Amino acid sequence: MWRVGVDVGGTFTDLFAWKEGSDAFTTGKVLTTKHDRSIGVLEAVRKAGIEFADISLFMHGTTTATNALIERSYPESAFITTEGFRDTLEIGRQHRKYLYDPYQTKPKPLIRRRNRFTVPQRTNVHGEERRALDEKAAREVAEKIAERGIRSIGIGFINSYSNPSHEQRMREIVKEVIPDAYVEISADTRPIFREHGRFVTCAIRAVLMPVMSTYFTKLENGLRSAGFKGSLLILKSNGGVMGAELAKQRPEELIESGPAGGVAYAAYLSRNGGYENIIHTDVGGTSFDASIVENGQGLITRSYELEWEVPVSVPMLDIHSVGAGGGSIGWIDEGGGLRVGPHSAGSEPGPACYGRGGTQATITDANLILGRLHPSLGDKFTLDVAAAEAAIDALAEKIGLSRLETAEGMIRISCETMAQAVKGVVLERSRDPRDFLLASFGGAGPMHACFVARSMNVPKVLIPAEAGVASAFGATAMNIRHDVEGFHYADLMTGDFAPINDIYAKLEKRAGDLLARDGVKPAEMKFERTAQMRYVGQTYEVETSIPDGKLTDSHRELIAQAFHVAHQREYGTSTDDFPIAFVSLGITAVGQIGQPPVFSYKKGSATKPGSREVYFDGVWHVSEVHSSDTLQSGKTIAGPAIVEYPDSCAVLPPKSQSVVDKVGNLIVTLNH
Amino acid sequence: MSKSAKPAQTAVEKIAADPITFEVLRNVFVNACERMTTIMQRTSFSPILADILDFSNAIYDPKLRLLAQAANCPVHLAAMQYSAEAAIRKYPIDKMKPGDIIALNDPYQGGTHIPDITFTMPIFNNDDLIGFAVSRGHWMDLGGGAAGGMGFGTHIAGEGLRLPPIKLYENYKINEDYLAIIMNNTRTPFFVRGDLQAHLGALKSAEEELQRAVQRYGKETVLDTMDALIAYTERIIRNAIKTIPNGVYEAEDFADTDGISPDPVKVKVKLTITDTAIDVDLAGSSPPVKGAINSPYTNTASAVLYSLQFFLAPNAPSNYGMFVPISINIPDNCWLNAKWPSPTIGCTTVTSSKITSAIWQALAKAIPERVTGSTGSDCNWFISTTNKNGATNVFSDLPSGGWGGTPYSDGMSVTMDPLGNCMNMLAETAELLFPIEYEAYELRQDSAGDGRNRGGLGAIFKVRFLCDGELSQETSRTREGSPGVNGGTRSGVQRQTRIEVSGEPVVIGGIDPQGSWHNPLLSAEPFTEEEQFMFESTGGGGWGHPRLRPVSSVVEDVIDEYISVRKAREVYGVVIDPVTFAVDDEATRGLRGA
Repeated sequence: MWRVGVDVGGTFTDLFAWKEGSDAFTTGKVLTTKHDRSIGVLEAVRKAGIEFADISLFMHGTTTATNALIERSYPESAFITTEGFRDTLEIGRQHRKYLYDPYQTKPKPLIRRRNRFTVPQRTNVHGEERRALDEKAAREVAEKIAERGIRSIGIGFINSYSNPSHEQRMREIVKEVIPDAYVEISADTRPIFREHGRFVTCAIRAVLMPVMSTYFTKLENGLRSAGFKGSLLILKSNGGVMGAELAKQRPEELIESGPAGGVAYAAYLSRNGGYENIIHTDVGGTSFDASIVENGQGLITRSYELEWEVPVSVPMLDIHSVGAGGGSIGWIDEGGGLRVGPHSAGSEPGPACYGRGGTQATITDANLILGRLHPSLGDKFTLDVAAAEAAIDALAEKIGLSRLETAEGMIRISCETMAQAVKGVVLERSRDPRDFLLASFGGAGPMHACFVARSMNVPKVLIPAEAGVASAFGATAMNIRHDVEGFHYADLMTGDFAPINDIYAKLEKRAGDLLARDGVKPAEMKFERTAQMRYVGQTYEVETSIPDGKLTDSHRELIAQAFHVAHQREYGTSTDDFPIAFVSLGITAVGQIGQPPVFSYKKGSATKPGSREVYFDGVWHVSEVHSSDTLQSGKTIAGPAIVEYPDSCAVLPPKSQSVVDKVGNLIVTLNH
Repeated sequence: MSKSAKPAQTAVEKIAADPITFEVLRNVFVNACERMTTIMQRTSFSPILADILDFSNAIYDPKLRLLAQAANCPVHLAAMQYSAEAAIRKYPIDKMKPGDIIALNDPYQGGTHIPDITFTMPIFNNDDLIGFAVSRGHWMDLGGGAAGGMGFGTHIAGEGLRLPPIKLYENYKINEDYLAIIMNNTRTPFFVRGDLQAHLGALKSAEEELQRAVQRYGKETVLDTMDALIAYTERIIRNAIKTIPNGVYEAEDFADTDGISPDPVKVKVKLTITDTAIDVDLAGSSPPVKGAINSPYTNTASAVLYSLQFFLAPNAPSNYGMFVPISINIPDNCWLNAKWPSPTIGCTTVTSSKITSAIWQALAKAIPERVTGSTGSDCNWFISTTNKNGATNVFSDLPSGGWGGTPYSDGMSVTMDPLGNCMNMLAETAELLFPIEYEAYELRQDSAGDGRNRGGLGAIFKVRFLCDGELSQETSRTREGSPGVNGGTRSGVQRQTRIEVSGEPVVIGGIDPQGSWHNPLLSAEPFTEEEQFMFESTGGGGWGHPRLRPVSSVVEDVIDEYISVRKAREVYGVVIDPVTFAVDDEATRGLRGA
């Protein structure tokens, strides 16, 4: 049976599949079918030559949820909240994105004010009822929503994390009035404090449910009618997968479903290549993504914002993006400074050298002029060198540099922008870049990876053998994973552990139920306990590992030590001066479904490299040019050199030393 | 920084020998400041820093010129420059060593108001001075007659502990004697160590970043780039000034009261644009006032500079180059040039926001097509409670109003005034930490100024006391709303109300239903258990004549209850059925003409 991973990107739909119990694998690439993405998904399977009946697990990453949110393209939806809080979704946190821009506006609220309703009720911080739910008002609101034909409804009451009963009763009333509605309560989406994040996350679940139900049902029907009998698993933002049925009900967990596959591939490389700490990077035409993989796991954040003041309060892979890629345009700002991006020439008209009418200088044009990119791009089509030169010259003239200086400068600036995104994850999380290896995926990745690494003092770069289908490959390396959380505030040293033990037991049960719904057998389930903790008085938490089993007094000191270490790692400080408190408790539940093996690497043929002149650091260097199919394990390459892959090329700067590892990854050591 | 205009310098023609390194280092400097911000936010202890972000961080070059800033609060922009200068005047740099940190908050020696403490640390690479890191935070409480220093008396001594420049840290080690004095003089001593640790962490991270840059690019290159960066911003600002027609533009605005006398207090602004320079003259503004809104030179200059920045070059790197083309004259005997012992606690909010509004209205005479309506004025509140165990809590929030309509769109609703960029306190966070409950935090219908593009809306805030306590709040715009431009109208007025246990509302600040006005500078106003305080903030001023607003936009606003049916008819001239929202075309034509 085959295990299949499919990643639907903006341009291509990629497939990677491996045969369980063997080390056979296959890949496929088709154009993404934008009007109905499920068509391209099925096509990719056919193209790879796999019988649908032979697929056991079908793992799928999708950007459908994120696109629907950003475009606000979902059915009209409603939100019901505590009297006095109608506008939490709209007001946000009352700060602005740009300090001095007098013309800025805020993102449109997810649900319009006319469809936001309030009901008299109040629960206090301890979960006690201060004011009963006004049943009559509640019913009137439900009827008004029914009249408007709205079927997606979020409910968020203040302090519901401490007692959800009013939200639950409100849901019953709405269900009575509108039996076929999608009705979601904030205590279910994520029962933790801070109403803004909880309400927004609940609203996201409500608005996405019809969209994702339609999409997954269509995809599943397509697969079933083609003969597929296995399980459809969907990539989640947390770096795991869940069944399609659950995914329809928890669509807020799909925001990073697209990029998660690439991170999982980096994690796979980390586990199987012995590379403990990896910075995962992915560069396409317009954007650059970066994240951290530590000890084989993607780093998780709880402070993700979809847009300004639109937080998604679920644990997500910490992926930073910036507008930098092959299509990024060079320009001169009002102070006479050379800038690159974030505007991109995209694929239409594309870089000037594509000869499709683009006249602005892009990063791809710069790479071409410097000899880093060959004019016959993978034999697919010929790039127009003269057009690239004209575009760069126009820019060069304005800043008084030569053509070559300008081209190399653009790449340095762009790599610096990419390095900022890397800093965003590495320094923001107080990691030391010197402990990492930078893995580079995506069409434009290997061209820039060494320069990005150099700017960050990262000593080594990894260019994988299967960079072209990295995300699809990564999908097949994921486990089923659910993160569940419950609020509980208690002092670590003096608090009662009985309720904490009780909550962990309940959370474990809930997480186990979710895994069971995804078809995981008890023997394959693994549970890890965490807590969000902080120094008393602080308002931000740090995730801390909590030991298994019943907690007793003897654990207090152990947990305190674990917290200090975690706080030191995240923020660079820790102290014994302050008491420590639990804020919320969590379970990460993993259904282990088996990992792809280490595929035996097919040795390439040892042909003699070609050579060409490539421009580095202001000088032309005669550089070896290798084809990726000549990369035998153990082969070494001294920079300056170029390695040409089917979908990209690696640029290895002077003084770098590269070696092919046992599975075909190129490991570049930079000599800073 | 000098008080008068330097002769207009010739703008440097090219940014640097190497524009590529320039761009790279520019990012390094900005990111160093942003990293400081993250550390402050995540590791500080008092909610005013961690939740509300009332702090700013910056780095300076070895000549102590602002190089880059992650300003959460524009009002800190130039003020930090003066603070750093005052610190180094007292502790000359040749005597300073790594890890020496100077703290100060004295309003007459580089500070603005007592709660804003500034920490200045020199940065060395080996023995070479390569710059300074400066971190400024609004501390929850440093004593005084009411929580947060909001006693609103007539002497600075009533506003809390006034620190001249002191060497609080030596070789990264705190001076325990100074620390003990500080902790003895606050209602919230439990925040002090944690907040200091956060400031220290921020300063140290900037030190690392700057050292890394010097080790990588060499000292010469980094210092040359610092010069080039300042020249670059100056050039951008001068080019921007060139787009404003030469001339003299005047305007004025008023603070409602100084809290002692009921008389409004005037800001008078005269902008003189001459090619690539701006002179700002505040002559004609009121003399010093008895009450708490006097503004030291530092604060006034800072307000002038950030107010102009919005319409000069909002995206230019914030550095010393911004200050050079702008000269400021503040008369000596003026509430905007406070001297000892004038109280200044309200200067950063009430006063700064009026300076902004006056400057924007003056600019509206020069570049009406570019200027926006004024924003809802600013205020903050401090609530101090003592629970049954005798424990004191101090709780603060910065309830915001709306921004003015712009040439391109409606203004933002409920967004911090230009002077800051702080976040609100979430109800659930506040209730977890303090004995209060939020009863409302919601948009306030009809609070915006009207216009072709209307202002953003203000909000209704209601907070319920769960034990006896006191509330202090400074605010204004209680007599007249925020001004509009180009025919846009003023927004509504702000109001403070006590809701008694019986549910009876009593206006305690602003205009009551009988038309009487009450002093809106509330100091230690007692509230009893289960009483509520309600604050209604105002929106932003309108842009352009309301009758020019498209009918469809007016209808949408009515459906979303941003404006009332009555306002649609009376101000916008659009007659809408309150049930069906159908427009009465004929009546509308009658009101709007043609």
